[in-house]
Amino acid sequence: MNKTLLGYVPKESPIYFIHPFVKLYFLLVVSLFPMFITQPEVNLFIMAVILLLMIWSRVDLRILRIYVPVAIAMGWIILLSYTVLGGTHPEFELLAKVLGIKIYWERLRDGVVVYCRILPMIATMVFFLTTSRERDVIVAMRSVRIPFVVTYVFAMALRSSGMVLEDFQIVRQAEQARGFDTTGKSLGYKIRKYVMYMIPLFALSLRRTEEFTNALVARGYAFTGEAAKVKRADYILTHYSFKLHDGILVALISILFIIILTLRYGYNAFSLDSSLLINWLYQILR
Amino acid sequence: MVHLIEIENYSWQYLNTPQEALKNINLKIEQGSFVGIIGPNGAGKTTLAYSMDGLIPGQYRGLKHGVVKIRGIEVEEYPRGRLQQMVGMVFSDPEAQFTAMTVEDELVFGMENLGMSLPEIRERLEWVTELTELKHLLLKPPYEISGGQKQRVALAAVLAMTPEVLILDEPTSMLDPVSRKRVFEVLQKLKQSQNTVIVIEHSLENLIPLADRMILLADGEIALDAETGEFFQRLDLLLEKGISPPGAMRFFYELTQKNLYHGRLPLTVDEAAALLRGAA
Amino acid sequence: MNTQTPFIRVSNLNYQYPDGTHALWDINLEIYEGEFIAFIGQNGSGKTTLSKCLNGLFKPTSGDVIVEDLNSKTSSIVQMVRRVGYVFQNPDHQLFNNNCWDEIAYGPRNIQLPEEQVKERVEEAAQVVGLPERYFSEHPFFLSKGLRQRVAIASILALRPKLIIVDEPTTGQDARQSFEIMDFLKDLNENHGHIIVIITHDMPIVAAYARRVVAMGQGRILADGPTAEVFKQTELLAQTFLEPPQITQLAQRVQDLGYDPGTLTVESMVAQHIALRARRDNP
Repeated sequence: MNKTLLGYVPKESPIYFIHPFVKLYFLLVVSLFPMFITQPEVNLFIMAVILLLMIWSRVDLRILRIYVPVAIAMGWIILLSYTVLGGTHPEFELLAKVLGIKIYWERLRDGVVVYCRILPMIATMVFFLTTSRERDVIVAMRSVRIPFVVTYVFAMALRSSGMVLEDFQIVRQAEQARGFDTTGKSLGYKIRKYVMYMIPLFALSLRRTEEFTNALVARGYAFTGEAAKVKRADYILTHYSFKLHDGILVALISILFIIILTLRYGYNAFSLDSSLLINWLYQILR
Repeated sequence: MVHLIEIENYSWQYLNTPQEALKNINLKIEQGSFVGIIGPNGAGKTTLAYSMDGLIPGQYRGLKHGVVKIRGIEVEEYPRGRLQQMVGMVFSDPEAQFTAMTVEDELVFGMENLGMSLPEIRERLEWVTELTELKHLLLKPPYEISGGQKQRVALAAVLAMTPEVLILDEPTSMLDPVSRKRVFEVLQKLKQSQNTVIVIEHSLENLIPLADRMILLADGEIALDAETGEFFQRLDLLLEKGISPPGAMRFFYELTQKNLYHGRLPLTVDEAAALLRGAA
Repeated sequence: MNTQTPFIRVSNLNYQYPDGTHALWDINLEIYEGEFIAFIGQNGSGKTTLSKCLNGLFKPTSGDVIVEDLNSKTSSIVQMVRRVGYVFQNPDHQLFNNNCWDEIAYGPRNIQLPEEQVKERVEEAAQVVGLPERYFSEHPFFLSKGLRQRVAIASILALRPKLIIVDEPTTGQDARQSFEIMDFLKDLNENHGHIIVIITHDMPIVAAYARRVVAMGQGRILADGPTAEVFKQTELLAQTFLEPPQITQLAQRVQDLGYDPGTLTVESMVAQHIALRARRDNP
């Protein structure tokens, strides 16, 4: 199994045949689709497609288990903020009054729409993170000629976050070894005390910064000045070549995007009035 | 004659510190030599190493007296990047040196910084992974390899830049004995191909068989600078300055103190065992 | 020693990390009062994992770790740390209070001791580690490495655990500093009644200070016994990529001449040499 940013992918997987740039492009463009689609069923369909893509890439789906409670919690939060906290709107249709709180149809409907928009956007993000290794992100950026400084800072951020996570584990254990126990305490207590962890993490990072900088200098790297203007050979790009299927995929994604925009603005497709799901929901709740 | 490294009457005091970290350093190092620098913590070994690489005064503020020249040119006068290519430096913390997200990227980083071309990079990469036995680790990210492997990567990454001299500052202090041995194995190969290597170490057992010359640094000054065999005949001075010699050597030293032995102190277990057999 | 009840009894301990790696296999171990033990083994052999099971940081996947009367599976961290202390290798991983006093007081406060007792413990611990009073109000971050290590140890001592585990006490230290910290641990063991367990690769230090050695490899105990006995088992040590200290290696190389293959110190080697010469000169 190869570890990706957010999960694991087996050593044999079709996803490796795709150029990292395509993956990044997919993330950036497809996550915009829901912005132009109001019909929840279409958005849910997009999410289903992405899940299928994850299965096709042979991602270890157990990682999704973590996201189910998150998705559910998020759903409730959206629902509540759109209904209970929605306020009084006499222009809307009142569905029910629960404990003095007015539940309006329009608000409920909007909540459902927003939720169904967010789901595929998050799914695209998760798909990207579970199928990309750190190196893929960097290759994707370099292949579109983003300045090296930017990609390098990004790479360093990835590297440091990895180190910070490792440190965090040890710091947690060190505190426990001195009797620090959060079992059974309130959430507020936990949050207050977790701030403590930041201090050793900062101290460790600070100490490491000096060595890290020295290492960079010793490798001849400079962020500015003459030395920074050197023409880089970009060796790692030599491992990745943009193939025909990559080009086709990029074209496909782009065409899809244009189609969606055309349908939306030219033909007023994906609107709420023609949404089967919304209409069905309305019937039930009335 | 232009020495590879020439340090004359050099002293350095870090900003806001009460005393000089290094004083009266006079040192000449020639191409092809393998030098070991030892001394208690705080003696100034790292300061000396950084001075030879331009990190001091480049990255640190302080007061400098005297001259540090690499190939006849003072360290401050080198254009940025040029000195770092000539003097390769390996630090002691394997974590802090790994700046990229895969081993291969790490190895190639320095070469790209120098503007080497793709064919040059490929060639050096091949050579360096062969030398340090890293072929099977090339695509691995830092969190999947051990500290010892990371140090070999650091060593390889620096070697890939074709430095004229390699300085290693306590490269194995954070490693377990196995990883330590593997790092020294690479150093041995380098010695055989007559690279110029300067190693700062506490692990004398591994260092002694490789070093032609040893320098003792204590309280910021060079207390002893001699060819290895001669160096360890002055064990009394080494002990006084807080150096703990390897067991076999210490044993013969104690015998000498008791007038039971009058020869040269053995540098390795092999030599010591041979001496005991010879005497039996 | 075997007639007493052990301070810690480990039975059939198995430990698996959350990601599935099986780190410890069927560990059986007993630790008694007054012992000074070294856990040795290559990186990944399980010595650190085992130590963290001993103080309850890790709960066994199966098997038991019983400390006095407490079973680590059913006891809280707070109960365990009063008996087993763990000093981490890098003091920076644990120091976070604004001054040394609060740092050392942190442990006692966590176990809910009244403030006068906390004061007593802090003063006692500071005295044992030799931390001068003038450092009490200093921020630990700015102290030297050696002082930070002492503050870290003091903060564990303040909990008054009977058993203290120290992770890599001599890594990165020079000879004098190594002896200082080890002599200090020896003092804790001989004069203050603590059981000391050190996790280390430093074989000469093990030879000089540890009376018992537990050698681990691939999650199992390969050898467990008095230091000299374990050091004689060179093939076993080689399995976990370890070598005995140089003086022991020398003795082993010339054991056919009469030297003890379990020699641990230069002094002992010298004494043997003198005795052997005497015997040779006066047959």
